Amino acid sequence: MKQEEILLKVNGTNYRLSIEPRRTLVEVLRENLGLTGTKKSCNEGDCGACTVLMDGRPVASCLVLAMDAQGREILTIEGLSEGQKLHPIQEAFLKHGAIQCGFCTPGMVMSAKAFLDQNPEPTTVEIRKAISGNLCRCTGYQHIVDSIMAASKMMQKKS
Amino acid sequence: MGEYSVVGKSVERTDGRVKVTGKAKYAGDLVAPGMLHGKLLRSPLAHAKILNVDTNRAKALPGVIGVITGKDFPGIPYGTRPDTRDQLPMPITKVHHFGEGVAAVAAMDEDTAEEALDLIKVDYEELPVVLTAEDALKPDAPLVNEFSKSNLAYFSDFNFGDIEKGFKEADYIREEKFSSQRVTVGFIEPHACLAEVDPTGRVLLQGSKQSPYITWRHMCRALDIPLSGMRIVNPFVGGAFSGKHDPFDVDFAAAKLAQITGRPVKIVLNYDEVLAAYRQRNAMDARLKIGVRKNGAITALRAECILEGGPICGIGPFNVYYFGAFLNIPYKIPAIEYHGKLVYSNRAPCGTVRGQEITLAQFALDSLLHMVAEDLHIDQVEIRTINAVTDHWRTANGMMVDVSGLPKCIEKSAEKIKWQESRKGRPKGRGIGFSCASHPSGPRLGGHFGSSVILKLVEDGKVVLTHGGTEIGQGANTVFCQMAAEVLGLPFEDIIQGVSDSDTAILDSGMFGDRCTYWDGNATILAAKDLKRQLAEIAAKELKADPEELEFKSKRIFTKGNPEKGIDFLLAVRRAYYDQGTPLYGRGYWAATDIDIVDWKTGKGNLAHGLDFIATAIELEVDKETGKVTLIKAAHGDDAGQPINPLLLEGQVNGGSTHLAGQALLEESLYDEKGRALNFTWRDYKQPTSMDAPEYVVEHVHTHDPYGPFGAKGAGEASSCSTMAAIANGVCDAVGVRIKDLPITPEKILKALKEKEAK
Amino acid sequence: MFIKRLPKFEYHAPTSLPEALDLLAKYDGKARVFAGGTDLLVSMKKREILPEHLISLKGIAELKGVHYDEKVEMRIGALVTLGEIEHSKIIQDDFCVLWDAVQVMASPQIRSLGTIGGNLCSAAPSADTAPPLIVLDASVEIISTKGKRKVLVENFFKGPGESVLNPDEILTHIFIPYPLKKSSGAYFKLMRRAAMDLAQVGVAVCLSFDSEKRVCRGARIALGAVGSTPIRVSKAEQILLNKEMSETVGKEAGKIAAQEASPRSSIRASKEYRREMIEVLTKRAVMAAYRRMG
Repeated sequence: MKQEEILLKVNGTNYRLSIEPRRTLVEVLRENLGLTGTKKSCNEGDCGACTVLMDGRPVASCLVLAMDAQGREILTIEGLSEGQKLHPIQEAFLKHGAIQCGFCTPGMVMSAKAFLDQNPEPTTVEIRKAISGNLCRCTGYQHIVDSIMAASKMMQKKS
Repeated sequence: MGEYSVVGKSVERTDGRVKVTGKAKYAGDLVAPGMLHGKLLRSPLAHAKILNVDTNRAKALPGVIGVITGKDFPGIPYGTRPDTRDQLPMPITKVHHFGEGVAAVAAMDEDTAEEALDLIKVDYEELPVVLTAEDALKPDAPLVNEFSKSNLAYFSDFNFGDIEKGFKEADYIREEKFSSQRVTVGFIEPHACLAEVDPTGRVLLQGSKQSPYITWRHMCRALDIPLSGMRIVNPFVGGAFSGKHDPFDVDFAAAKLAQITGRPVKIVLNYDEVLAAYRQRNAMDARLKIGVRKNGAITALRAECILEGGPICGIGPFNVYYFGAFLNIPYKIPAIEYHGKLVYSNRAPCGTVRGQEITLAQFALDSLLHMVAEDLHIDQVEIRTINAVTDHWRTANGMMVDVSGLPKCIEKSAEKIKWQESRKGRPKGRGIGFSCASHPSGPRLGGHFGSSVILKLVEDGKVVLTHGGTEIGQGANTVFCQMAAEVLGLPFEDIIQGVSDSDTAILDSGMFGDRCTYWDGNATILAAKDLKRQLAEIAAKELKADPEELEFKSKRIFTKGNPEKGIDFLLAVRRAYYDQGTPLYGRGYWAATDIDIVDWKTGKGNLAHGLDFIATAIELEVDKETGKVTLIKAAHGDDAGQPINPLLLEGQVNGGSTHLAGQALLEESLYDEKGRALNFTWRDYKQPTSMDAPEYVVEHVHTHDPYGPFGAKGAGEASSCSTMAAIANGVCDAVGVRIKDLPITPEKILKALKEKEAK
Repeated sequence: MFIKRLPKFEYHAPTSLPEALDLLAKYDGKARVFAGGTDLLVSMKKREILPEHLISLKGIAELKGVHYDEKVEMRIGALVTLGEIEHSKIIQDDFCVLWDAVQVMASPQIRSLGTIGGNLCSAAPSADTAPPLIVLDASVEIISTKGKRKVLVENFFKGPGESVLNPDEILTHIFIPYPLKKSSGAYFKLMRRAAMDLAQVGVAVCLSFDSEKRVCRGARIALGAVGSTPIRVSKAEQILLNKEMSETVGKEAGKIAAQEASPRSSIRASKEYRREMIEVLTKRAVMAAYRRMG
């Protein structure tokens, strides 16, 4: 299959890649760019493990063609922290026990970021809705909801 | 109990940072130079002879480096028990369930591997299928497993106490049938494995496996390699819940392809494969008969159950014993008779799932207890309090309850859910359901059951802790580090979690049955004490004191009661390394050899220490027009002895409860009449989302377990065991209908409501 | 049987409608257009559909955006995502029945990608935007090299997965006439779980009232997931006309609606249950629309 040259901007860095057009964004992130923080599980948009942000919106990267991700700002879990400095959402996840096996965590955090950036003062019902596309089997969601609420307060203080 | 510095505190998980930044590596993230990608070809039939597998065209496809089938393995069956060795790495003569892997390909890239699958031609001869327990036990039923002469895979029968007398003494007797459905395990990370063979021929396996020991023993046997010929290094595991103990075709195929091609081979599944063909919880049919006195106190229990477990025994023999064994707990039952059967079938193979069979037994028992309480007009909290086991209770089948916080658990959950207030009045359609449960802290299933921990004290004063288990999310790594820090008087941050590598870590029977905190925890304490002893000797010389009189706290070693007479912890370390050239290792091994290896067929014995207790109250709402159930709040009173890390413990309680709420209300693995899976994608297999889960409140009831590390008990699975009955009972309390076959669907509720109205 | 990586195809990204139409015509029958791709890509991964050419519409500016003229109509570009509709105040205020639907569709991650045009063109009987658009009296504009045509959403569906769209046509816009002053609507979706689920039954209702806002002067009811296509149930609508709204009247309308539908049994729900639920949901949607009237 003919390869295409694409330019992707991921976590602020521009990458020039040569890929088959059938490659999805999650495949390119993980296989071409070595950014394995974004996970793959169902591959059909029903679990949220592959959630990344495109222009600030949460997307199922298993259903985005890498070709269609050109010209967009892509943010993955690796792009959230700055060196050792964690994003408030990450701090909150650590503090409030939102992480167990950690496999849903990257997707969960990215969904939370997209949500809090638009809804700085959420209710718990709104939080549950924001992460309703991210399956978790370990935590029962309570601590994740608590973390996102706590993060919203932290982020408000900072601004 | 006492004042602890690290134990009992909700410290941040040791692996939290790497997980929250996306740096943690799971099996699917691993790469090795020259790595090939593997894929499995799956059977479209549930039961069929394999007449021929033609792999020639696949082998000829450019980019394909190796193709294997079941015939590439030595043909040595393996199994959980010596008398239940009924599994092969990959099938040879026949396929036993839909989606069973019949061939595997390793290619230069994933696309080529997928393409190659289409070029493999398998000739099948379809066989009639066995789907239910009823099918399995018919006299002319086709035999499912080629290593067994019967579809009756295992059985367990026991009779303790005087059952006749028990029923005679009862003022009231009730008998009911219950059943539960096939469900998947539901961890989010699909199976994945990277296998390599080193230049000396040793296999290195890095997979999403829960219990390295179990994987190792089975794989070496079935690959016919010596135990020293395999090394397992565990990456992080994305959830397991007992669905990842056994090696699967994924692991075997990766290893065999690595052996054949001489290159590393990685196989990563998509989740639909997991839902179609991998571990599920067995379906259950049970009949329970209970006798109680006027005040609700139980006098006798008779139970029968059949578990339908797919084409392998697996841990099934233990499951069928466990169902009956744990009917003896958490209530005082003076006499019990139990008959359990495990049968083979052509549905997906079963292992066990979070809470094991206790979830099913408790669903039946606590539903029945609710019914009895209703009949006798006894308050639901009262009947459970009356029957709750207390300290030093010995069950009819010989299990010893050392310490029981259950009465207090019941009190607290009732308080948190506002039980009394709800009896005075509540909105229409609202109800509260109770259930209690108990889960042991690691049963002793065989002579080889034990845990070991090694502590290496590094020259800079930090400790590297390795144990033979796996961090599957439960927080095992973290609590062990907490315990080591506590014993050695070091800050939590000074204990570093080492890699789980079978070459350096030692025996651990596995991460299941709530055994980790308890067994590995005790091993950690012993390892830390071993290290402490060595350091105390050095410090004693330095301080001219008696090593027995030394205390370790805040990175110092000093004489008891006289903190100034002491030295820095680091000084003792350096004395060893730099003055004596002595490395410092702490070794700890713990096995509860004082409890019994119970005979699963006859069931008597003290199976485990550290019985933990939980009382669960769930408030829910039933929409009488649609039949839909909305979970509002769950209040758990949990006795896990001394919580080592309260935040992690609560996470376990919440998680188990949501998981089993899924089985109670939403989940079912469906099959058609030919045994083909119907809903093997997450589009149609409904696990709870954040909007399905209720709000959780967890109240810790502190007790002190005499055998547990710092008095702790295992806590991972109690809430899994109590949730289903609590939901079923809540539905009853809300709208007066009793659903006894899981899942509790809106359709069943509406049907029951109509029947009730008709009366 | 099991999901795979995407099959091979040639990718095209036209920047104008004429370009896209030319490509469709050129690859006659071997090409598929796509917007969000959330349905198409899954079908391709399952090897159910194997187009040799994929034409991404994402770069075509004129298919984007929500435009409204309060006196006339709302025009929604086919490429408008479900997420954009979710966050649109205008749609929430004035076209709440459509807004209700996007709230309960898929997940946030899919709503960011999935488009209203795509949802219609996939033509699933359970498509959540369909019943609301039907009761809003919406129509779609379809374009080909041969010209334009407008089709009422009510007449857009032919069968499960099948619409009136020809292989050489592209759906470009959805037109919704501006609602009457004294009207409101509601969409109710029954799901097995609380989120990220397909409809077992979907009911959309649009009611207009007299000046007192009590008597119903106009009613439109549409159902999803209970027939081979989303359907309008006109007999049920008749029940509501010129009546004062109440639970009883709503229930009656629901009963008739259930008779007009032809639900099937599937692993998602039995036909008996769906029929019963049409009644319940219709009643609830009618009452919700009524209450929204204020």
